[in-house]
Amino acid sequence: MLQIKNLSKCFEDLEVLRDVNVTVSQGEVVVIIGPSGSGKSTFLRCINLLETPTGGEILYLGDNILQLGKKVTDYRKQVGMVFQKFHLFPLMTTIENVMYAPMKLNKVPAKEAKEQALKLLEKVGLSHKADSYPSSLSGGQQQRVAIARALAMKPEILLFDEPTSALDPELVGDVLEVMKQLAGEGMTMIVVTHEMGFAKDVADRVIFMDGGYIVEEGPPDEIFTQPKNERTKAFLSRVL
Amino acid sequence: MELNFTKAFGTLLPSLLGGVGIVIYITLVGFAFALVAALLIAIGRLSKHKLLSRFLGIIIELIRGTPLLVQLFYIYYVVPTLINGVLAALGYEANVQLNASTCGIIGFAVNYGCYMSEVIRSAILAVDSGQREAGLALGFSEQKVLFHFILPPAMRNSIPVFGNYLVMLIKDTSLLAMISVQELLLRTKTYASQTFLTVEAYTILALVYLMLSLPLSQLGGIIERKLKRTQ
Ligand SMILES: Nc1ncnc2c1ncn2[C@@H]1O[C@H](COP(=O)(O)OP(=O)(O)OP(=O)(O)O)[C@@H](O)[C@H]1O
Ligand SMILES: [Mg+2]
Repeated sequence: MLQIKNLSKCFEDLEVLRDVNVTVSQGEVVVIIGPSGSGKSTFLRCINLLETPTGGEILYLGDNILQLGKKVTDYRKQVGMVFQKFHLFPLMTTIENVMYAPMKLNKVPAKEAKEQALKLLEKVGLSHKADSYPSSLSGGQQQRVAIARALAMKPEILLFDEPTSALDPELVGDVLEVMKQLAGEGMTMIVVTHEMGFAKDVADRVIFMDGGYIVEEGPPDEIFTQPKNERTKAFLSRVL
Repeated sequence: MELNFTKAFGTLLPSLLGGVGIVIYITLVGFAFALVAALLIAIGRLSKHKLLSRFLGIIIELIRGTPLLVQLFYIYYVVPTLINGVLAALGYEANVQLNASTCGIIGFAVNYGCYMSEVIRSAILAVDSGQREAGLALGFSEQKVLFHFILPPAMRNSIPVFGNYLVMLIKDTSLLAMISVQELLLRTKTYASQTFLTVEAYTILALVYLMLSLPLSQLGGIIERKLKRTQ
């Protein structure tokens, strides 16, 4: 459903992504790993056009999204994103965070949006926090609300940029659990993470990035047990 | 020195209370327009149109670089003359005159609008860029992101500063005495020169201003504390 061809991205004269080619099919869970600064975030942000690629193309259901013009917002509705630092809306309660976008963008009536939001909060185990403000939630809870918020737009693809890196270790599990559940339900996901356990269990495919290139990719058991590339080996020996 | 506060209270105070209505009216209306102007200027300053942003930047410098009193004089005396001049050049015989209170409101809207636009602008810039990205990622356009996710926290965070400006504005209405608005200072001045109760008159005037501004700053403090608590 998503085809990325020869993608490149430069910040001024700093080349951050070079000739990246990735195809993601419906229902697939792709995990991206790699050292800091290798371009993982930039890659994700190019996919929903938070960054504008400097070269290549991104085809979504066959359309080149780099030529969408104003329709970019329609495309973004179909590609949800979960950020490392959650970025919940601080002046809204948890449930308002979740129901806001469907109400404002898809004109879903308030009552219906609320019911749907409550279901999503239930799904991430936080329906009891519906009327709390984000500032009173733990990081793990905030991240789960952020996942519910992204799901409220009924996206086709979800992007996760290190969703558990800002969390205390004991809170990581709950978030990964929710993500696992989503994967099990057939959600198409692209996940940047340092959680190798999650990658092994959930990923259909693991991509190792370094220096802006995709160095190696394959099924998790292959990448983790018999990596071919020296750089992959070196990276894995450091993190495993 | 003999002071006759009883007499001054009895005669000046009723006249001042008449002026309080004008002061409050000009303050509220001027401040409301200033807020709207400030918001528009702040958004314009941050827009991608370089020309608009530069233009507004120059206007702000002009306004901040000249005294409010001079601006009020300019609006009251110069602007009507210019309008009449232009109309005459176009062949219309006209004698446009601006009502002094209206000039005051315009002057405050422009002057305070410029100052407060800088408050709003920095409050906008202080909103975490993650808010913008979260909004965009959900499918909001840049414009909608501004209105739904950037302006609400920015305006909210500006409220305490707005409160200070409101108190300043109510005191600055005294400048309008210079363009013949029958506000408090002008009434007091007239009274003092007629009765020679100078000390009494200006003391009472100061007290009336305090009675106007103290509750306002108290209220501002309460609101500020409330906002902090619910943040
Ligand atoms: N807006 C930007 N302007 C300039 N350089 C940037 C910008 N964003 C990222 N970079 C640079 O691009 C490179 C890749 O950054 P990126 O955030 O994609 O890496 P990453 O793989 O996500 O790293 P991390 O694991 O630390 O999150 C880095 O060298 C970074 O400094
Ligand atoms: Mg990153």
